[in-house]
Amino acid sequence: MTHPTQEELEAVALGEPGDPRATEIEAHVAGCTDCCRELAWLRTERTLLGRRPLLETTHLWPGVAARLEHPRRRTHWAWRIAVASGVGAAAAAVLFAVLPPGPLPVAQPQQSARRPRSAIDPKTLAALDRAEADYRNAAKVLEGEYDRLRPQLDPELARRWDETLTRARAQLGESRAVAADDVNVRMRVLDGYAGYLRSLRDLLQESEEANP
Amino acid sequence: MRAASLPGEVLGARDRDSDEELLSRARAGDPEAFRVIFDREAPGVRRFLGDLLRDDAGADEGTQETFVRAHRRLGTLEQADKLQGWLFGIARMVFLEQIRRKRREGPMPEPAEDFSRTDCGPSPEAVLLSSESDRMLDGALADLDDERRSALLMRIDHGLGYGEIAAAMGWSLQKVKNEIHRARLQLRARLAGYLEEGA
Repeated sequence: MTHPTQEELEAVALGEPGDPRATEIEAHVAGCTDCCRELAWLRTERTLLGRRPLLETTHLWPGVAARLEHPRRRTHWAWRIAVASGVGAAAAAVLFAVLPPGPLPVAQPQQSARRPRSAIDPKTLAALDRAEADYRNAAKVLEGEYDRLRPQLDPELARRWDETLTRARAQLGESRAVAADDVNVRMRVLDGYAGYLRSLRDLLQESEEANP
Repeated sequence: MRAASLPGEVLGARDRDSDEELLSRARAGDPEAFRVIFDREAPGVRRFLGDLLRDDAGADEGTQETFVRAHRRLGTLEQADKLQGWLFGIARMVFLEQIRRKRREGPMPEPAEDFSRTDCGPSPEAVLLSSESDRMLDGALADLDDERRSALLMRIDHGLGYGEIAAAMGWSLQKVKNEIHRARLQLRARLAGYLEEGA
């Protein structure tokens, strides 16, 4: 017979039942140095890995059962950010789909600010506007949630977070102002929004952990 | 930690008909049925995650997370005989998430030397050989790329078929074969020297 395939040899080494050629393969291996060596390796690997004891896992069940009974609920803002991020990503995907082939234009903020809006594909602009609006809406929800939690925070911590958020918002505003209709720069603004949302999410998680 | 049973007793003797019945009961909301699935499959999932994460606490947590997610998604599992591969697919996602989280949080600690593995055996040489080869194996596995290691372990240690691995990893069948082949070559290169010395 011809050499058995790797999978056939593995089946023999792993003791998998049901291969009708098993006897034939064993007979071949007995007279074939290469296959004999390969089978020996396969059995060695199996033995080395398989001889390790399986660990007891019954102590893990109560934790699973508790979580099945009382599932961790995602807070409403966590759902909103997930939805907004999804929508933003989808809008960005649409954007890539409608962009003409070739590299994105090099960002030249000062020139692009004067560039007429009509020079860019309207579908591209619409996708950019939509993605940005989605991110802004998500940010509003999270900012509202932060405002709700803020009074319970340590004042010094709240002050530092206020500063961080104000700085992030200012940077976003500046970037947006110079981006105009430059696709490349506006994509970076979207990245900025995504980063801002992530910061807000982390901040809210920390706030909730600090005030359960 | 205690050993559950010999691998072959759990991994080899799987009752597929029973899987079908259990699954259907678990899908219908029978908590006892899901508990049986957990008892049967958790040791394999735990070992898989332990081999990937090399962190006992993380592997325990990952095992629990895998089964919580599995319970939530029971309705998406169409074939009962794919249960093990399906669980490993979920475990792999849990592993990747843990790795990403750890990378965000900072450098991963070096795995501690596990001296508890030295078992009572018939002779000191045998004990030494066993613990040395286990350490060598650990090191050789750790050198493999995460994804490649996952595929190799699913095949050799847990006996999943290539098709099941492809479904669990989200790869083509050819990619599974290539990755497992490459993993084997790497593993053998590491083990060859040790095994020749021991011979």
